[in-house]
Amino acid sequence: MVSSSIDHMVAVTVFLAATLLFIGLFNQTIQTAVIYQRHKATATKASDLLDNMLLSPGIPVNWGQINGTPTGFGLQDPEFTQYKLSPYSLMRLTSFSGTPVYYPRTGTTYSNITMGFGNFLLVSSAQAINYSTARNLLGINGKYGFQLTISPIITVSVTKISSGTPLKLSINVAGAGSSLPYAPISYCFILVNKGNNQYPSFTTVYDNTYTNAAGSVELTFSGIDGESYSYALIAYAGISGLKGAGYFTHSSEDLEEYVVPMVDSFEDRRVLIAHSWAVHEDGGSNSELKYNATFVILANDFTLREVPIGVGRVGHVVYGQGTEKAWGNITIPTYNPGILVVTYRKSATQYGAVMMPWGLSAMAFPVTFGGDPSQQEWVATDMRHVTVDGIAYQAKLALWSLEGYQVIN
Amino acid sequence: MPQITIEYMIMIPLLILQIFLFPLTAGWIMNTWTESRQTLALQETASYVGSSIHQVYSALNHESISAGAVTNQLEVPSSIEGYPYAGNASFRDAAPEDAQILDITLSLLGSRIVATTSVTLGSNVGWDIDSIFMSNSSYSSLIAEKMANGTILLSFEGDN
Repeated sequence: MVSSSIDHMVAVTVFLAATLLFIGLFNQTIQTAVIYQRHKATATKASDLLDNMLLSPGIPVNWGQINGTPTGFGLQDPEFTQYKLSPYSLMRLTSFSGTPVYYPRTGTTYSNITMGFGNFLLVSSAQAINYSTARNLLGINGKYGFQLTISPIITVSVTKISSGTPLKLSINVAGAGSSLPYAPISYCFILVNKGNNQYPSFTTVYDNTYTNAAGSVELTFSGIDGESYSYALIAYAGISGLKGAGYFTHSSEDLEEYVVPMVDSFEDRRVLIAHSWAVHEDGGSNSELKYNATFVILANDFTLREVPIGVGRVGHVVYGQGTEKAWGNITIPTYNPGILVVTYRKSATQYGAVMMPWGLSAMAFPVTFGGDPSQQEWVATDMRHVTVDGIAYQAKLALWSLEGYQVIN
Repeated sequence: MPQITIEYMIMIPLLILQIFLFPLTAGWIMNTWTESRQTLALQETASYVGSSIHQVYSALNHESISAGAVTNQLEVPSSIEGYPYAGNASFRDAAPEDAQILDITLSLLGSRIVATTSVTLGSNVGWDIDSIFMSNSSYSSLIAEKMANGTILLSFEGDN
C-alpha cells in the first residue's frame, strides 16, 4: 500500500513539474514570437514616421521662419516637394549633442551646435522646438521615443598646413568613406585687415578650383602670415549633384576673447552679438571687442555673394564695464540661406573672425534631435538621402518602443 | 487505511485535475498569444493608414498641386488571421487653433480588438464621417479631393 501511494505522489509531482515546464517553455516561445512581431511593427513605424517628418512641411508650413510653436511637425521645405528639407525648420530643432549655453545677460538658454572654434549656431530655447513637443506633435508621446540625425554626406574639411608666410590651406573633399577626386570647389576667403580702423574691415577673395586625384587641393595666399593674421575660409564642393560645405577660421593667437552670435528671433531675423566672457563667465575683468558683420549668401551655382547688413553692422560688445549694454543686435537682411561672418578687433594687433550659418545647410552643419537610444532594449533605424538647400544630407531615424516588449493582455 | 485515503482521496483527484488544467493552461496561453498577434497586426495597420492619410494630405496641400481628386489604394492586408476589419475616423473636439487631429479607429470584426492612431492635419481638411473602411472590400482605398479654394476632403471608400 505504501509503495502505491509513493507511486501516485511521484506521478503527481512529475506531472506537475512537466506541466510547469511546458508552460514555461511555451510562454518563452510565444514571448519570443511576440517580441519579433513588435520589433517588426517598430521598424515599420520608423519608416512611416521618417517619411511623415521628411515629406511634410508641418503646420504652419513656414514654422521654421516664425517664432511660435508649430501645431504639426514636419521638416520638408514648403517651397519644394519630395525629400527637400527646410534649412530653417532644422535650425529650430533643439540639439541633442551640444551642451546648452546659458547667457546670463538675457537670462536665456541657447541650443548649441558648435563645430569647432569660431563656428557657432546658438538658438534661443524659446524659439527652439524640444523633443517633448515634437513627440506630442507626431502623436507618439508615451508610445515611442526617437532620435533624428541629419548629417552631411559630403565632407569638406579645411586645415592649415603652413606656418608663417605664405598661408597655405588644404581642402579635402570626401564622400561616404572615400575621397572625391577632381571635384569642383568654390570658395570665399575673408581676410581681416589690420590697421587703425575702429571697426575691423575685411577683404574677400572668391575663386574656384578642383581637387586633385587624391581628393584634396592646396590653396596658397601669398603675403599673409598664417599666425598673426585673422581670416576665415568657406568652401563648397561636390560631384554628380551632391554638394557639401567646409569652413575654417583663425584668430590672433594671443586673443582669448571672441564674439558669440546667437539667434534671438527667427521671425525678425534678429541675431545677438555677445562677448564670450559674458557668455561663459570665465574671463578677465574688463574687455571690449569691436565687430564688423557681413552676410554672404549662396547663389544657385554655389558661389558666394555679399548682402549688405543695415543698422547694427558694426558695434562693440563689452564685459565687466558696469551697466553698459553688453550685446549688439544684427538683423539678417534676407531669408535666403547664407553665412553671417563677424570680424572683431580688440587692439591694433588682435583680431578674430567667427561664422554662423543662417539656415542649417549654409555651413553643412549636422543636427541631432530627440532622445538617447543608447539605453534602449531594441532600436529600429531607417534612413533617407535628402537635400537641404542643395547640400546633400543623410537623415537617419532611430525609433524605440516605450511600451515594452511584453505579451499584450 | 491512511495510505488508501491519500491515494484515492487526494492523489487521484489531483491527477485528474491536472489532466484538465494542462489543456486549459495551454488554451489560455494560446488565446493570449493570438490576441497579442492580432492586436499588434491591427496596430501596425492603423499606423500605416494614419501615415498614408498624413502623406496624402501633405502631398495635396502643396500650393503647386491644383484642384482634383486622387485615390490612394491602401496596401493593407484584407484580413488579419482570417478576420476582416473595419475602420472609421473623426476629428477630435479639442485641437490646436490652426490644426485638426483625426482619430482613426480600426476594429477587428468578430473580436473585441481595437486599434487607434491619430494624425495632425491642417485646418483646411474635411473628413467624411460616414465613410467606412472595410478591409475585405475589393477596392478599399483613401479618396482625397482638393477643391479650388484649397480645402482637402478626405474619405475612405469600399464596397461593403
